[in-house]
Amino acid sequence: MNLISGVDVTAGALNAQKLRLDIVAQNIANAETTRTAEGGPYQRQVVSFATELVKQQANNGGIPLQTVKVASITSDPTPGQKVYNPQHPDAGADGMVTMPNVNLAFEMVDLITASRAYEANLSVVKNAKQMAEKALEIGH
Amino acid sequence: MGSGLREADGGWHRLCLTRPVMIEPIFQTDTYQLARKLLDVSALRQEAIASNVANAETPGYRRLDVAPAFDQQLKAQMASGTLGTAPTLQPTLAEDSSATSTKPDGNNVEIESELLAMNRNSVDYDYLTQVVSSNLKQLKMAISGNVT
Amino acid sequence: MTPIGSVNPLSTSPLMRLDAASLSPEVAQPAAAGSASAAVPTDAFSAMLDHLVGDVTAKDAAATAATNQVLMGNSGQLHQSVIAMQEAGVAFSLMVQVRNKLVESYQELMRMQV
Repeated sequence: MNLISGVDVTAGALNAQKLRLDIVAQNIANAETTRTAEGGPYQRQVVSFATELVKQQANNGGIPLQTVKVASITSDPTPGQKVYNPQHPDAGADGMVTMPNVNLAFEMVDLITASRAYEANLSVVKNAKQMAEKALEIGH
Repeated sequence: MGSGLREADGGWHRLCLTRPVMIEPIFQTDTYQLARKLLDVSALRQEAIASNVANAETPGYRRLDVAPAFDQQLKAQMASGTLGTAPTLQPTLAEDSSATSTKPDGNNVEIESELLAMNRNSVDYDYLTQVVSSNLKQLKMAISGNVT
Repeated sequence: MTPIGSVNPLSTSPLMRLDAASLSPEVAQPAAAGSASAAVPTDAFSAMLDHLVGDVTAKDAAATAATNQVLMGNSGQLHQSVIAMQEAGVAFSLMVQVRNKLVESYQELMRMQV
Protein backbone atom coordinates (compact mmCIF):
# COMPACT_ATOMS: atom_id res chain seq x y z
CA MET A 1 0.00 0.00 0.00
CA ASN A 2 1.44 3.28 -1.07
CA LEU A 3 -0.43 5.76 1.06
CA ILE A 4 2.29 8.37 1.48
CA SER A 5 3.17 9.66 -1.97
CA GLY A 6 6.78 9.60 -3.04
CA VAL A 7 7.97 7.70 0.01
CA ASP A 8 10.10 5.29 -2.05
CA VAL A 9 11.84 8.20 -3.69
CA THR A 10 12.59 9.89 -0.39
CA ALA A 11 13.71 6.64 1.24
CA GLY A 12 16.33 6.16 -1.47
CA ALA A 13 17.54 9.72 -1.02
CA LEU A 14 17.77 9.38 2.75
CA ASN A 15 19.85 6.22 2.36
CA ALA A 16 22.15 7.87 -0.15
CA GLN A 17 22.71 10.96 1.99
CA LYS A 18 23.30 8.83 5.06
CA LEU A 19 25.94 6.83 3.22
CA ARG A 20 27.54 10.04 2.04
CA LEU A 21 27.65 11.31 5.63
CA ASP A 22 29.27 8.06 6.71
CA ILE A 23 31.98 8.43 4.07
CA VAL A 24 32.63 12.04 5.05
CA ALA A 25 32.92 10.98 8.69
CA GLN A 26 35.35 8.28 7.63
CA ASN A 27 37.42 10.80 5.70
CA ILE A 28 37.58 13.17 8.62
CA ALA A 29 38.48 10.39 11.03
CA ASN A 30 41.34 9.30 8.77
CA ALA A 31 42.69 12.77 8.06
CA GLU A 32 46.02 11.87 9.60
CA THR A 33 46.26 8.18 8.75
CA THR A 34 49.60 7.69 7.02
CA ARG A 35 49.60 3.91 7.07
CA THR A 36 46.88 1.72 5.56
CA ALA A 37 46.58 -1.96 4.67
CA GLU A 38 47.56 -1.13 1.08
CA GLY A 39 50.75 0.49 2.33
CA GLY A 40 50.30 4.12 1.40
CA PRO A 41 48.56 6.93 3.23
CA TYR A 42 44.78 7.02 3.44
CA GLN A 43 43.15 8.15 0.18
CA ARG A 44 40.01 10.21 0.49
CA GLN A 45 36.82 8.40 -0.54
CA VAL A 46 34.36 10.13 -2.84
CA VAL A 47 30.73 9.24 -3.33
CA SER A 48 28.98 9.66 -6.66
CA PHE A 49 25.20 9.72 -7.12
CA ALA A 50 23.07 8.36 -9.91
CA THR A 51 19.36 8.21 -10.50
CA GLU A 52 17.48 4.98 -10.09
CA LEU A 53 14.00 4.27 -11.39
CA VAL A 54 11.44 3.74 -8.69
CA LYS A 55 9.34 0.63 -9.16
CA GLN A 56 5.99 2.30 -9.16
CA GLN A 57 2.50 2.36 -10.52
CA ALA A 58 1.64 3.35 -14.05
CA ASN A 59 2.21 7.00 -14.68
CA ASN A 60 -0.11 7.46 -17.67
CA GLY A 61 2.80 7.78 -20.06
CA GLY A 62 4.60 10.55 -18.24
CA ILE A 63 8.16 10.48 -17.01
CA PRO A 64 8.59 7.90 -14.23
CA LEU A 65 9.74 8.97 -10.80
CA GLN A 66 13.42 8.57 -10.04
CA THR A 67 15.17 8.23 -6.77
CA VAL A 68 18.88 8.56 -6.11
CA LYS A 69 21.38 5.91 -5.18
CA VAL A 70 25.09 5.87 -4.55
CA ALA A 71 26.59 4.71 -7.82
CA SER A 72 30.08 4.18 -6.56
CA ILE A 73 32.48 4.96 -3.77
CA THR A 74 35.84 5.67 -5.33
CA SER A 75 39.15 6.80 -4.01
CA ASP A 76 40.35 10.23 -4.85
CA PRO A 77 43.67 9.55 -6.63
CA THR A 78 45.23 12.99 -6.14
CA PRO A 79 48.36 12.59 -4.07
CA GLY A 80 48.38 14.09 -0.62
CA GLN A 81 50.67 16.76 0.69
CA LYS A 82 54.19 15.87 1.54
CA VAL A 83 55.25 17.18 4.91
CA TYR A 84 58.76 17.33 6.24
CA ASN A 85 58.75 15.37 9.51
CA PRO A 86 61.82 13.12 9.99
CA GLN A 87 60.62 11.95 13.43
CA HIS A 88 57.45 10.47 11.96
CA PRO A 89 57.52 6.65 11.95
CA ASP A 90 56.37 6.65 8.30
CA ALA A 91 58.87 9.21 7.10
CA GLY A 92 60.75 8.30 3.97
CA ALA A 93 64.51 8.45 3.50
CA ASP A 94 64.29 12.18 2.79
CA GLY A 95 62.25 12.82 5.95
CA MET A 96 59.07 13.56 3.98
CA VAL A 97 55.78 12.04 5.05
CA THR A 98 52.93 11.79 2.56
CA MET A 99 49.78 12.86 4.38
CA PRO A 100 46.31 11.77 3.31
CA ASN A 101 44.69 14.00 0.68
CA VAL A 102 41.86 14.90 3.06
CA ASN A 103 41.13 18.61 3.17
CA LEU A 104 39.16 19.29 6.33
CA ALA A 105 37.50 22.41 4.92
CA PHE A 106 36.11 20.49 1.95
CA GLU A 107 34.96 17.67 4.17
CA MET A 108 33.11 20.04 6.53
CA VAL A 109 31.33 21.67 3.59
CA ASP A 110 30.39 18.20 2.34
CA LEU A 111 29.13 17.33 5.81
CA ILE A 112 26.91 20.39 5.96
CA THR A 113 25.58 19.86 2.45
CA ALA A 114 24.78 16.23 3.17
CA SER A 115 23.02 17.14 6.42
CA ARG A 116 20.96 19.81 4.72
CA ALA A 117 19.96 17.45 1.94
CA TYR A 118 19.01 14.84 4.53
CA GLU A 119 16.83 17.33 6.40
CA ALA A 120 15.22 18.54 3.18
CA ASN A 121 14.24 14.98 2.29
CA LEU A 122 12.88 14.46 5.81
CA SER A 123 10.67 17.52 5.50
CA VAL A 124 9.42 16.26 2.12
CA VAL A 125 8.27 12.98 3.60
CA LYS A 126 6.76 14.73 6.61
CA ASN A 127 4.80 16.96 4.29
CA ALA A 128 3.59 13.98 2.27
CA LYS A 129 2.39 12.34 5.47
CA GLN A 130 0.48 15.47 6.46
CA MET A 131 -1.17 15.57 3.06
CA ALA A 132 -2.27 11.97 3.43
CA GLU A 133 -3.74 12.72 6.86
CA LYS A 134 -5.64 15.66 5.42
CA ALA A 135 -7.02 13.42 2.69
CA LEU A 136 -8.27 10.96 5.29
CA GLU A 137 -10.30 13.72 6.91
CA ILE A 138 -12.35 14.43 3.78
CA GLY A 139 -16.03 14.42 4.59
CA HIS A 140 -15.59 14.70 8.35
CA MET B 1 -41.80 2.06 -19.48
CA GLY B 2 -41.68 5.34 -21.28
CA SER B 3 -44.99 4.70 -22.98
CA GLY B 4 -48.18 5.49 -21.15
CA LEU B 5 -46.74 8.36 -19.13
CA ARG B 6 -48.85 11.47 -19.02
CA GLU B 7 -48.25 14.82 -17.41
CA ALA B 8 -51.27 14.41 -15.21
CA ASP B 9 -49.91 11.34 -13.45
CA GLY B 10 -49.90 12.44 -9.81
CA GLY B 11 -47.32 15.13 -10.42
CA TRP B 12 -44.44 12.79 -10.99
CA HIS B 13 -41.68 14.70 -12.65
CA ARG B 14 -41.07 13.27 -16.08
CA LEU B 15 -37.34 13.28 -15.65
CA CYS B 16 -37.49 11.28 -12.46
CA LEU B 17 -39.29 8.56 -14.28
CA THR B 18 -37.40 8.43 -17.55
CA ARG B 19 -33.93 9.45 -16.49
CA PRO B 20 -31.72 6.41 -15.93
CA VAL B 21 -29.26 8.13 -13.63
CA MET B 22 -30.53 9.69 -10.45
CA ILE B 23 -27.73 10.11 -8.01
CA GLU B 24 -24.87 11.06 -10.30
CA PRO B 25 -26.10 14.61 -11.00
CA ILE B 26 -25.79 15.70 -7.39
CA PHE B 27 -22.04 15.17 -7.68
CA GLN B 28 -21.72 16.96 -10.99
CA THR B 29 -21.18 20.54 -9.88
CA ASP B 30 -18.21 22.11 -11.60
CA THR B 31 -16.56 23.16 -8.38
CA TYR B 32 -16.63 19.68 -6.93
CA GLN B 33 -15.37 17.94 -10.06
CA LEU B 34 -12.69 20.57 -10.59
CA ALA B 35 -11.52 20.19 -7.02
CA ARG B 36 -11.26 16.42 -7.47
CA LYS B 37 -9.14 16.76 -10.58
CA LEU B 38 -6.92 19.38 -8.99
CA LEU B 39 -6.37 17.06 -6.04
CA ASP B 40 -4.83 14.60 -8.51
CA VAL B 41 -2.56 17.37 -9.78
CA SER B 42 -1.52 18.36 -6.29
CA ALA B 43 -0.72 14.80 -5.25
CA LEU B 44 1.33 14.30 -8.40
CA ARG B 45 3.17 17.55 -7.82
CA GLN B 46 4.16 16.37 -4.35
CA GLU B 47 5.72 13.28 -5.91
CA ALA B 48 7.55 15.41 -8.45
CA ILE B 49 8.95 17.59 -5.67
CA ALA B 50 10.04 14.48 -3.76
CA SER B 51 11.92 13.31 -6.83
CA ASN B 52 13.50 16.74 -7.35
CA VAL B 53 14.68 17.08 -3.75
CA ALA B 54 16.03 13.52 -3.76
CA ASN B 55 18.04 14.19 -6.92
CA ALA B 56 19.17 17.69 -6.00
CA GLU B 57 22.80 16.70 -6.48
CA THR B 58 22.62 14.02 -9.11
CA PRO B 59 24.60 15.08 -12.17
CA GLY B 60 22.50 15.66 -15.26
CA TYR B 61 19.14 15.44 -13.50
CA ARG B 62 16.46 17.85 -14.80
CA ARG B 63 13.68 19.13 -12.63
CA LEU B 64 10.26 17.44 -12.98
CA ASP B 65 6.84 19.00 -12.64
CA VAL B 66 3.24 18.36 -13.74
CA ALA B 67 2.95 18.73 -17.51
CA PRO B 68 1.53 22.20 -18.34
CA ALA B 69 -0.62 20.73 -21.12
CA PHE B 70 -2.94 19.34 -18.45
CA ASP B 71 -4.01 22.85 -17.39
CA GLN B 72 -5.12 23.74 -20.89
CA GLN B 73 -6.97 20.47 -21.32
CA LEU B 74 -8.75 21.03 -18.03
CA LYS B 75 -9.77 24.57 -19.02
CA ALA B 76 -11.05 23.30 -22.36
CA GLN B 77 -13.12 20.67 -20.61
CA MET B 78 -14.57 23.23 -18.23
CA ALA B 79 -15.47 25.56 -21.07
CA SER B 80 -17.20 22.79 -22.95
CA GLY B 81 -19.00 21.66 -19.83
CA THR B 82 -17.89 18.05 -19.99
CA LEU B 83 -15.93 18.09 -16.76
CA GLY B 84 -17.86 15.40 -14.98
CA THR B 85 -18.74 13.17 -17.87
CA ALA B 86 -15.70 13.32 -20.08
CA PRO B 87 -13.24 10.42 -20.26
CA THR B 88 -10.89 10.68 -17.35
CA LEU B 89 -8.15 13.21 -17.79
CA GLN B 90 -5.04 12.44 -15.77
CA PRO B 91 -2.09 14.73 -15.10
CA THR B 92 1.35 13.46 -16.05
CA LEU B 93 4.89 14.33 -15.10
CA ALA B 94 7.20 16.07 -17.52
CA GLU B 95 10.52 17.85 -17.44
CA ASP B 96 10.09 21.46 -16.41
CA SER B 97 11.19 23.41 -19.46
CA SER B 98 11.03 26.77 -17.71
CA ALA B 99 13.75 25.93 -15.18
CA THR B 100 17.20 27.29 -15.90
CA SER B 101 20.30 25.21 -15.62
CA THR B 102 22.27 26.33 -12.61
CA LYS B 103 25.08 23.88 -12.10
CA PRO B 104 27.88 22.85 -14.41
CA ASP B 105 26.95 19.16 -14.16
CA GLY B 106 23.55 19.85 -15.77
CA ASN B 107 21.49 19.60 -12.60
CA ASN B 108 18.91 22.40 -12.39
CA VAL B 109 17.33 21.74 -9.00
CA GLU B 110 17.45 24.34 -6.23
CA ILE B 111 16.47 22.89 -2.90
CA GLU B 112 15.07 26.16 -1.54
CA SER B 113 12.68 26.69 -4.41
CA GLU B 114 11.61 23.06 -4.19
CA LEU B 115 10.78 23.46 -0.51
CA LEU B 116 8.87 26.67 -1.22
CA ALA B 117 6.93 24.92 -3.98
CA MET B 118 6.20 22.10 -1.55
CA ASN B 119 4.74 24.47 1.03
CA ARG B 120 2.56 26.12 -1.59
CA ASN B 121 1.42 22.76 -2.87
CA SER B 122 0.58 21.64 0.65
CA VAL B 123 -1.69 24.63 1.19
CA ASP B 124 -3.32 24.00 -2.20
CA TYR B 125 -4.00 20.42 -1.20
CA ASP B 126 -5.51 21.49 2.13
CA TYR B 127 -7.75 23.99 0.38
CA LEU B 128 -8.92 21.43 -2.18
CA THR B 129 -9.73 18.86 0.48
CA GLN B 130 -11.73 21.58 2.26
CA VAL B 131 -13.71 22.29 -0.91
CA VAL B 132 -14.49 18.62 -1.48
CA SER B 133 -15.24 18.07 2.20
CA SER B 134 -17.66 20.94 2.51
CA ASN B 135 -19.49 19.83 -0.65
CA LEU B 136 -19.91 16.35 0.77
CA LYS B 137 -20.96 17.65 4.17
CA GLN B 138 -23.59 19.88 2.58
CA LEU B 139 -25.00 16.91 0.69
CA LYS B 140 -25.12 14.87 3.86
CA MET B 141 -26.87 17.68 5.70
CA ALA B 142 -29.41 18.08 2.92
CA ILE B 143 -30.14 14.36 2.85
CA SER B 144 -30.41 13.73 6.54
CA GLY B 145 -32.03 17.02 7.47
CA ASN B 146 -29.74 17.39 10.45
CA VAL B 147 -27.60 20.48 10.58
CA THR B 148 -24.62 18.91 12.38
CA MET C 1 -34.25 16.41 -5.75
CA THR C 2 -36.56 13.98 -4.05
CA PRO C 3 -39.69 13.29 -6.08
CA ILE C 4 -41.63 12.32 -2.97
CA GLY C 5 -42.53 15.90 -2.29
CA SER C 6 -44.32 16.22 -5.58
CA VAL C 7 -46.83 13.50 -4.76
CA ASN C 8 -50.05 14.84 -3.37
CA PRO C 9 -51.33 12.00 -1.19
CA LEU C 10 -54.85 13.39 -1.18
CA SER C 11 -55.33 13.38 -4.91
CA THR C 12 -57.65 10.68 -6.08
CA SER C 13 -55.61 9.21 -8.88
CA PRO C 14 -52.75 7.78 -6.75
CA LEU C 15 -55.30 6.53 -4.18
CA MET C 16 -57.17 4.62 -6.81
CA ARG C 17 -53.99 3.04 -8.07
CA LEU C 18 -52.69 1.92 -4.71
CA ASP C 19 -54.66 -1.28 -4.56
CA ALA C 20 -53.19 -4.71 -4.00
CA ALA C 21 -53.12 -5.62 -7.66
CA SER C 22 -50.98 -2.74 -8.80
CA LEU C 23 -48.65 -3.04 -5.82
CA SER C 24 -47.15 -6.16 -7.31
CA PRO C 25 -43.43 -5.65 -7.93
CA GLU C 26 -43.64 -7.13 -11.40
CA VAL C 27 -43.64 -4.48 -14.07
CA ALA C 28 -46.78 -5.26 -16.06
CA GLN C 29 -46.86 -4.10 -19.61
CA PRO C 30 -50.12 -2.21 -20.15
CA ALA C 31 -52.25 -4.15 -22.61
CA ALA C 32 -54.71 -1.34 -23.30
CA ALA C 33 -54.88 2.41 -22.77
CA GLY C 34 -57.37 1.93 -19.94
CA SER C 35 -55.14 -0.26 -17.88
CA ALA C 36 -52.10 1.77 -18.82
CA SER C 37 -52.80 4.45 -16.24
CA ALA C 38 -53.36 1.80 -13.59
CA ALA C 39 -49.99 0.13 -14.21
CA VAL C 40 -47.94 3.32 -14.68
CA PRO C 41 -47.37 4.53 -11.09
CA THR C 42 -46.27 1.11 -9.91
CA ASP C 43 -44.12 1.15 -12.99
CA ALA C 44 -42.88 4.56 -11.96
CA PHE C 45 -42.25 3.57 -8.36
CA SER C 46 -40.40 0.37 -9.06
CA ALA C 47 -38.56 1.85 -11.99
CA MET C 48 -37.48 4.78 -9.89
CA LEU C 49 -36.38 2.55 -7.06
CA ASP C 50 -34.55 0.33 -9.52
CA HIS C 51 -32.69 3.32 -10.85
CA LEU C 52 -31.86 4.46 -7.37
CA VAL C 53 -30.52 1.08 -6.35
CA GLY C 54 -28.62 0.81 -9.61
CA ASP C 55 -26.97 4.18 -9.02
CA VAL C 56 -26.03 3.30 -5.47
CA THR C 57 -24.56 0.00 -6.64
CA ALA C 58 -22.57 1.82 -9.30
CA LYS C 59 -21.19 4.31 -6.78
CA ASP C 60 -20.34 1.46 -4.43
CA ALA C 61 -18.56 -0.40 -7.24
CA ALA C 62 -16.54 2.71 -8.06
CA ALA C 63 -15.57 3.07 -4.42
CA THR C 64 -14.54 -0.58 -4.19
CA ALA C 65 -12.49 -0.28 -7.37
CA ALA C 66 -10.67 2.81 -6.16
CA THR C 67 -10.03 1.28 -2.73
CA ASN C 68 -8.75 -1.95 -4.26
CA GLN C 69 -6.35 0.03 -6.40
CA VAL C 70 -4.91 1.62 -3.29
CA LEU C 71 -4.84 -1.63 -1.30
CA MET C 72 -3.06 -3.49 -4.07
CA GLY C 73 -0.48 -0.76 -4.33
CA ASN C 74 -1.37 0.02 -7.95
CA SER C 75 -2.28 3.59 -7.19
CA GLY C 76 -1.06 6.01 -4.57
CA GLN C 77 -4.16 8.19 -4.91
CA LEU C 78 -5.49 7.92 -1.42
CA HIS C 79 -7.74 10.94 -1.82
CA GLN C 80 -9.69 9.41 -4.70
CA SER C 81 -10.42 6.33 -2.65
CA VAL C 82 -11.58 8.41 0.32
CA ILE C 83 -13.77 10.62 -1.88
CA ALA C 84 -15.29 7.62 -3.66
CA MET C 85 -16.14 6.00 -0.32
CA GLN C 86 -17.74 9.21 0.92
CA GLU C 87 -19.78 9.51 -2.28
CA ALA C 88 -20.95 5.94 -1.93
CA GLY C 89 -21.98 6.72 1.64
CA VAL C 90 -23.91 9.80 0.55
CA ALA C 91 -25.67 7.87 -2.22
CA PHE C 92 -26.57 5.13 0.20
CA SER C 93 -27.99 7.49 2.80
CA LEU C 94 -30.00 9.21 0.07
CA MET C 95 -31.49 5.86 -0.84
CA VAL C 96 -32.24 5.07 2.79
CA GLN C 97 -33.97 8.42 3.27
CA VAL C 98 -36.02 7.93 0.10
CA ARG C 99 -37.09 4.53 1.39
CA ASN C 100 -38.00 6.00 4.77
CA LYS C 101 -40.11 8.70 3.17
CA LEU C 102 -41.82 6.17 0.92
CA VAL C 103 -42.67 3.96 3.87
CA GLU C 104 -43.91 6.99 5.82
CA SER C 105 -46.15 8.12 2.95
CA TYR C 106 -47.49 4.62 2.49
CA GLN C 107 -48.30 4.31 6.17
CA GLU C 108 -49.96 7.71 6.20
CA LEU C 109 -52.06 6.74 3.20
CA MET C 110 -53.09 3.46 4.81
CA ARG C 111 -54.07 5.33 7.98
CA MET C 112 -56.55 7.42 6.05
CA GLN C 113 -60.13 6.63 6.63
CA VAL C 114 -62.00 6.01 3.47
